[in-house]
Amino acid sequence: MKIHVYAALKDYFQPEFEVSELVRNTDELKALLLTLNDKAGEILSSCRFAVEEGFIDNAFKLNEYDTVVIIPPSSGG
Amino acid sequence: MAGVGSLAHHPGAGAVVLFSGEVRDNNQGRAVTFLEYEAYVPLAASMIAEILATAKQRWSLHAAIAQHRVGKVAAGDTAVVVVTASAHRSEAYAANRYIIDRIKHETPIWKCEHYADGTKEWGNNCNCHAVTGDVSKHIYEHDR
Repeated sequence: MKIHVYAALKDYFQPEFEVSELVRNTDELKALLLTLNDKAGEILSSCRFAVEEGFIDNAFKLNEYDTVVIIPPSSGG
Repeated sequence: MAGVGSLAHHPGAGAVVLFSGEVRDNNQGRAVTFLEYEAYVPLAASMIAEILATAKQRWSLHAAIAQHRVGKVAAGDTAVVVVTASAHRSEAYAANRYIIDRIKHETPIWKCEHYADGTKEWGNNCNCHAVTGDVSKHIYEHDR
């Protein structure tokens, strides 16, 4: 599974990386990411997740071929 | 972004409202030299298109246009422009505020503030979820 992160999340993770562990939903992905950087808990709790340019929630079933985009709170304008 | 306003002229529009979001040279007492905007462009573009379409229908606008820059934007320059045109001014004002509020809260666009002392900081993220308990639910100025 490929992971892309943006903005402040790049202070915690590489902009793009891959995970090989079995991850079935966004809660499991968040848990995995916390094992990679346990300081990212607060920002991850405020992030949205997207696959194929659409937002997903925890009910969305992830698969190993997905590219998951992790989206911190907006600060445009 | 110069000239965006001229795209909104319409013979049925008695009002054209232009909002220009500019980069301030200071924030919370610190001197700002420039902002670096980043976006998840495919999703940001589709979300802005949906916001514009919703506003156009809700206020019967003749035109609704929004452009947001990415990359480096110097203090004093324009970062985002929203233009709305309607028969009367109240609709154009209301729609314009609705559009910029939703762009600022919802679209995947972020700014990193670069300060005169050489430091930088990702800035002023939407924190509505702290109140709403849901990262997808926001509190808008246009609803207040």
